[in-house]
Amino acid sequence: MNRSVRTSGFIWILPALVVSVGLIYYCIGYTGFISTLKWDGVSPNQLSVGFANYVQVFADPVFWQSITHTVAFFLVSFAGQVFLGLLFALLLHSRVRGAAVYKVIVFLPVVLAPATMAPVFRQIYAPDGQFNGVLKGVGLGFLQQPWLGQTSTSLPVIISIAIWGGTGVAFILYFAAMSQIENEILEAARIDGAGNIRTVVSIIWPGLRGTTVAIAILTAISSLKTFDIPWLVSQGGPSYSTEFLGTMIYREGVPLNAVGYAAALSVMLLILAVTIAIVLRLGGRERGAVNV
Amino acid sequence: MSFRSRRHSRPLALATALAITAAALAGCSSTSSSTASGSATSGTVRWWGWTPDQNVATNLITAFNKKYPKIHVTFKKVPDQTFGAALRPALASNVGPDVYNLLVGGSGASATIFGSKSVDLTPAMTKLRGSNWKTGLYPAGITDFTVDGRLVAAQVGKVAAGFLWINKDLFDKYNLTPPKTMSEWVSVCKTFRSHGLGCFKEGVDAAGFEVDTLHSIADSIQPGWWTKVIAGKAKWTDSTGVKMWQVWKQLDTNGILDPGALGIQQYPDANNAFLAGKAPMVQMGTWYRQYTSKPNLAAALSAAGVPSDTKQITMVPIPFPDVAGSGNTPGLFGDPDYALAVNKKSKNIAAATTFALWVSSTKEGQQVIANNLDEDPVLESVGADVSKLPLVDVAVQTPYLNTLAKQGGNVTQPRLANISPLLDESIKNAASTVLGGQASPAQAAATLQSSAK
Repeated sequence: MNRSVRTSGFIWILPALVVSVGLIYYCIGYTGFISTLKWDGVSPNQLSVGFANYVQVFADPVFWQSITHTVAFFLVSFAGQVFLGLLFALLLHSRVRGAAVYKVIVFLPVVLAPATMAPVFRQIYAPDGQFNGVLKGVGLGFLQQPWLGQTSTSLPVIISIAIWGGTGVAFILYFAAMSQIENEILEAARIDGAGNIRTVVSIIWPGLRGTTVAIAILTAISSLKTFDIPWLVSQGGPSYSTEFLGTMIYREGVPLNAVGYAAALSVMLLILAVTIAIVLRLGGRERGAVNV
Repeated sequence: MSFRSRRHSRPLALATALAITAAALAGCSSTSSSTASGSATSGTVRWWGWTPDQNVATNLITAFNKKYPKIHVTFKKVPDQTFGAALRPALASNVGPDVYNLLVGGSGASATIFGSKSVDLTPAMTKLRGSNWKTGLYPAGITDFTVDGRLVAAQVGKVAAGFLWINKDLFDKYNLTPPKTMSEWVSVCKTFRSHGLGCFKEGVDAAGFEVDTLHSIADSIQPGWWTKVIAGKAKWTDSTGVKMWQVWKQLDTNGILDPGALGIQQYPDANNAFLAGKAPMVQMGTWYRQYTSKPNLAAALSAAGVPSDTKQITMVPIPFPDVAGSGNTPGLFGDPDYALAVNKKSKNIAAATTFALWVSSTKEGQQVIANNLDEDPVLESVGADVSKLPLVDVAVQTPYLNTLAKQGGNVTQPRLANISPLLDESIKNAASTVLGGQASPAQAAATLQSSAK
């Protein structure tokens, strides 16, 4: 490629470069700068504290609680979404009447804004809400409890909402990936005597490994960024039992006006997100699952 | 020739770039002047606040426009929990509100932080009310909204808390009298629950309303201790502090507090349940008095999505019970509520100042505030005439409201003014851990004392 071609190419990518560098990387750099300050985000007085905010992050028990919740959230929501997404994809790949309607029903939660659904879930899981009503209705009244008002049940409630909202994506990805599996392979398996379960375990599931890795990456990153559901449904409580990095950043940055500390948490979040994405990507490659 | 022109074009390009940069920077900073701009009697004023309710703001603006018809005021209500998040970038930009609410203490748009972005209203106040402008205004509201010698906002009203609101219809229906002690409260709640109702609904979630309940409990144990401990003149680990957490826990174990308080939000959950007639008791302050008025209650029910044909409740204020059994009936404690700040970057500073000062410091504006019932006026010469208000039940509610007005005049303790966001968060955590069983009252007191240090 000669110089003129390279120059003209540079011009073509310039707008995207300006936007990405200007908006994204500048913001990241600025956040990094703020993370070295003790600042309320409004006052003209900014006190430089070096890496003190990062030291405070590592000493903060709520930070470690948030990390623990994020890991639990990722593991359970990933497993739930994969299981349900795969199940629905398998069912709808068989000849089901009204499959199009079912697809819409399964995917619908993905397009519903969490802000819209949060009050609904607050009502469903309220002490006098529908979930307790159903439990009582089916003779399980002894299980009724204030689901969002207990540290022992609030996180599972948040995870259940995330699974409800995210299964549609897993379903669509699996459904599309299953369409790529050659019919001849499936027919050969049948001829060799493989039943439904055997076909799923030995033929379909291995063929979906790349998709599963993609879902893992998406779920991991969304777990790290989780904010809307825990904040709108339980505000990170009670007693930080549904605190995630996102809610912690908001709590520190807005109500507590510790913008410098919140920026340090944001940088930690970025580092974790990039690290996990790289690890999962490399893990997927090692298994030969790059064709996502 | 071409070589020469290229040599000359480089400095020219550099100069042009510098000029453009300078112009851009000048453009960015041109609106940061804090000098009064625009006309004081005409223009557009955009007002942001978490309070008052939309219909109350409309009343206020309508009355204002009778005197200043050429100032067009729009009110944008932002939920209190997100107000600070919305305000911070808005004030950093050049298109933020002209007038915005500020408060003292607690978590939110506090005067000490967001006041740095507002105009010093002292000269305008002096011009309006003379050199003795402070005379006749609520002194705490002047002190609390003066930061570094600047009057960063003009107080609009004052509020008090430290009592309960009850649904009188439900109490009458089950022949119950307002509880005065813990045992009476327990008995009342047993009756309500036996009829499938809740009892005392409170959200111990994020907004910090449990602070009012804790303050009342502390006052029933030892009046004034709460104010001392907030000021650092007593310890959370004192016997009063530990007992306060014990009583707090008893509200739950004795069946007074509705289940799931840790997952309930005061707004909208407790508020909507009470106004819709589903919860017999809540702890709210004098701002809740506005819903004794039929139109205000109708507007609140409509905003809460309650069917319009729902029967309006007869709500009345009662003293907080002597839950400690020490013979002390807790009194009221209060603060200036919100104040109006004028954005330094506003293009209509003069008109915005006219509006802020008319609401806060003129008889006409303060009379509207008084008549709206959600705030007590800060101008001493103004008061609400309850007899002219469209109460839900005039005969029942009037005596209670008159008593409340008398008590409101005897407030000696601040409510949130001296509580920093961090202390507010620590108190909330202690309240959650005691209620949730993760900490004993003594442990919570010790943790709080440690945080307060």
